[in-house]
Amino acid sequence: MSTPEEIARLLSRVALRDRAAFDVLYGHVSAKLFGVCLRLLRDRQESEDALQEVFVKVWHKADRYAASGASPMPWLIAIARNHAIDRLRARRPAGSEIGEAEWVVDDAPTPESSAVQRSERRRIDDCLDRLQDERAAAVRGAYLDGDSYEILAERFAVPLNTMRTWLRRSLIKLRECLEE
Amino acid sequence: MSNGDDNDLTVPETGDDALAAEYVLGVLPFAERAAAAARVEVDPAFARRVAGWERRLSPFDDETAPVAPPPALKSALDRRLFGEAQKPAGWWRSLALWRPLAIASLAACALLAGMLANEIATRPPESVARLVVQLEAPDSPVKMLALFEPGSSAVRLSAVSGTPDSGRDFELWLIEGDNPPASLGVLPPSGAATLDIPESLQASFAAGATLAISVEPAGGSPTGQPTGPVVAAGQLRAI
Repeated sequence: MSTPEEIARLLSRVALRDRAAFDVLYGHVSAKLFGVCLRLLRDRQESEDALQEVFVKVWHKADRYAASGASPMPWLIAIARNHAIDRLRARRPAGSEIGEAEWVVDDAPTPESSAVQRSERRRIDDCLDRLQDERAAAVRGAYLDGDSYEILAERFAVPLNTMRTWLRRSLIKLRECLEE
Repeated sequence: MSNGDDNDLTVPETGDDALAAEYVLGVLPFAERAAAAARVEVDPAFARRVAGWERRLSPFDDETAPVAPPPALKSALDRRLFGEAQKPAGWWRSLALWRPLAIASLAACALLAGMLANEIATRPPESVARLVVQLEAPDSPVKMLALFEPGSSAVRLSAVSGTPDSGRDFELWLIEGDNPPASLGVLPPSGAATLDIPESLQASFAAGATLAISVEPAGGSPTGQPTGPVVAAGQLRAI
């Protein structure tokens, strides 16, 4: 697995329209970004279409990366998540889409996690532990599986507005905890 | 904040931040999501909140397993982005950032090349090979010539054509191997320039290294890396 420094360097070369760097970047990060699309969209063909769109965006937006001050993988994953979630929200509302897809196999941290990533993960888990169980599950499910407010409200059997109130307060508490 | 009051959502400070968090989580319905996405583009303060949440929630990413995409996807992507699937001979040939413009500058370019060649020919014979590069890109109005003499501490540039838009500057970059682009400085608005090269970079001036010109905010890139489009590039070659 490539280091954040390598990915950052490749992105700054892609910003210079360096196609060789784009190819190398694709080799390093396409599997992760495809995994993100699959997990959110749960449809292989749509995920392939989405991944192509994501890399078109990466090619055109790479010049914004340097100015963003972001870490490279979160920046790339945000592009993939945003695009996949845009597709999800553009679909007709359908709670029946919930269900585990066979290729989403791994809920455990993947081996490439660095020590820094593991410690950040422990921190967010500790903060989630301070929330009520179902609120923590809602935050996690929304981020990882793309659950909408409608789906979450249905799952937790609460009105939509109550769900929104819960989640907003949970997020603010999470932020306060992470910034302690 | 009291624990029992579920209506307390409109504290101004948390309102925007909660919206940014909802946007990053992805829970918003389509219309609200589209409005938030548009706001990211025009409201830097909101964009920073969104970036903050992207960073805060990114530790969850390690739960998503990588899955290799089918190999045909990359070829389709290349066809879509570049019109063909095979790699070009050099990346500067794939620069296509400007609408087609007249190439009237070619004559001027040849003239300057001749002047440079003449100047080079009159140098003392003991000098080692000099490096020249013609910086250009297909359909870009910007063309420049650059000359570097090993042992010297400056690169000389002659603008053939192209000037930055008002409020923008051209910045020159050296790219060697896999290293990140190194700034050689902002080009003055006049047609010719001599830029001093930091000692740490002089050894990097070698045949095969690339010089590139990007469009930057006035005064140059605020980040130390190129932030705007590249309008001309070329590889140094020895003559």
